[in-house]
Amino acid sequence: MIGYILQRSLMAVPILIGISILTFAMMHLAPGGPTALLVDPTISPEAREAFLERYGLNDPLPVQYFKWAGAAIQGDLGYSLIYTGTPVSEMIFSRLPNTLLLMSVSFLLALFISIPLGIQAARKPYSLTDYSMTFFSFVGVATPNFWLGILLIMWLSVHLGWFPTGGVATIDAPLNIWDRIHHLILPAFVLATADMAGLTRYVRSSMLDVLKQDYMRTARAKGFREITVIYKHGLKNGLIPIITLCGFMLPSFFAGSVIVEQVFSWPGIGHLFIQAVFQRDYPVIMGITMMTACLVVLGNLLADICYALVDPRIEY
Amino acid sequence: MFRVGYDASSANQKTPNSCVVTKMTALLEVSNLRTRLNDGQQMLSVVDGLDLTIDKGETVALVGESGSGKSMTALSIMQLLPDPRAVIEGEVRFEGRNLLTLTDRQMRLLRGNELAMIFQDPMTALNPVLTIGTQMTEGLRFHLKLNKKEAVQTAVEWLKRVGISRAEDIIDEYPHQLSGGMCQRVMIAMAMSCEPKLLVADEPTTALDVTIQAQIMDLMQTIRRTWDTSILLITHDLAVVHEIADRVVVMYAGQAVESAPAEDLFQKPLHPYTEGLLGAIPSWETETDRLPVIEGSVPSPGHMHTGCRFAPRCAFAAERCDRQEPQLKELKANHHVRCFLHENKG
Repeated sequence: MIGYILQRSLMAVPILIGISILTFAMMHLAPGGPTALLVDPTISPEAREAFLERYGLNDPLPVQYFKWAGAAIQGDLGYSLIYTGTPVSEMIFSRLPNTLLLMSVSFLLALFISIPLGIQAARKPYSLTDYSMTFFSFVGVATPNFWLGILLIMWLSVHLGWFPTGGVATIDAPLNIWDRIHHLILPAFVLATADMAGLTRYVRSSMLDVLKQDYMRTARAKGFREITVIYKHGLKNGLIPIITLCGFMLPSFFAGSVIVEQVFSWPGIGHLFIQAVFQRDYPVIMGITMMTACLVVLGNLLADICYALVDPRIEY
Repeated sequence: MFRVGYDASSANQKTPNSCVVTKMTALLEVSNLRTRLNDGQQMLSVVDGLDLTIDKGETVALVGESGSGKSMTALSIMQLLPDPRAVIEGEVRFEGRNLLTLTDRQMRLLRGNELAMIFQDPMTALNPVLTIGTQMTEGLRFHLKLNKKEAVQTAVEWLKRVGISRAEDIIDEYPHQLSGGMCQRVMIAMAMSCEPKLLVADEPTTALDVTIQAQIMDLMQTIRRTWDTSILLITHDLAVVHEIADRVVVMYAGQAVESAPAEDLFQKPLHPYTEGLLGAIPSWETETDRLPVIEGSVPSPGHMHTGCRFAPRCAFAAERCDRQEPQLKELKANHHVRCFLHENKG
């Protein structure tokens, strides 16, 4: 097992290098640069030149890349070009908890809603329950989450006043768990919808297969309640393909959170990333991309480890 | 002890005397069992008016080709049919209680406790992601309300009884680490652990290789002798039947066509179908290049022949067999047959 984890970690190195080169290249292909959006647009050409020179932005791109990479390996992600002097790592780590909170809550939400729904659909395939679940799944997948987010803000927050319109907590209020949860519900739900819908379909087809297996009949022959049979004997088997899927879902959760954080003014990584892209804050863009890439690689590794935990037939 | 014959015909033909005896000794009494499955368009009859009696400590074999309805009979008795829309009619009396009128909960408390079942393919019948220990102890904890330690102890004892020597290790292993024969032993130990009165074995040796088959049959013999368990053995392997069964019921197309004490049936089969089945057993004594076969195959439910269901494949079929359906008749003591050939005898 430990050997496998080491091997996978080593394999991650070329992946991460590839991602960094691609991101770096694409970022510089985009028109404009950090100087275009500096505070004072009437800045003199000499001062602009001095700015570029000072941050090494006049160097050839490969040189710039290696300078960045050399520092990044040592854990130095550089400083923001826009918020001059703020270390990128500090910017990221001050916002990372918010994003991780949002993502993990909506991930759990997606799992806890889609698993029972999918099982229900699998127990009565081609029934009204099954068809209506299929219908709502497709609606869920097809609805863009920024639109759903805005709609829910309009309806539940503005008109009905049930939820705050955005942010992580009421400003200037002392830390209050209920207040945090209250702020979390809408964005977590919106972020969860698309994956929840897809996941329900996968759970359904996976469980449909499991319910037909001989060992389910054996469990019934022992006299257990149907609910015990399904959740104790069926679910663990049905989850095996779902775990792989959860590993794949991680990047889409990151992508989704970029948009949802924007809609709900959620001060997380996604929010920061959008700003950095608009302002061509190169070190911040690189920092966030690399950190996201690391998390995704880690998530997939975690999924593979869980796989072995659930299915004893798999050995690494 | 009395051996009560298989009462083929409906209740009105029973003699009052046999009724009394039946009440005293029969453990399971199935009468006029009809099972219908829904294939999406119509209800198909897979078991059609079957009667079956199993005494305490008796082994009854249910034989027939694939598709004759023998597994469906077993699953109907256990109420484990795969289709929730299936309809089971008739009476399944277990110790006098009609199982078909029990509530779901009452039936669950009997299943796995008083009535246990083992299945055809032990490799797929065990849950691949749960340890043998978990699968063995859960029934004990549920039915006998044992605590974890007691349940593990009982499970280990039973594993040893079925001939697994390293029972303590196997408790923590998963089914994929065991061979097919070992898995079937585990299944038997699991089914027997609550000491059921009736063990339903649905082709327990079919998926195993020949040497293992013999071991498993020996094991079932031992269990039956030691624990006085009644066994309903479903099989198409007549060699197995010869070895272990007290009584044999031959099924064809959802109906019983012959029922007799095992010795009787093997010495003098009466129904042409039984003769055909027995003729298809390879033997050392007669030297033939090819085994005799029964031409054709079992009709599928919904496409039954009018008249005798076996008539299209029967060498002795007369014109009458196509028109009229023969009834099951007792020709001599405990020997019943459903055929016009024997109508005027007995």
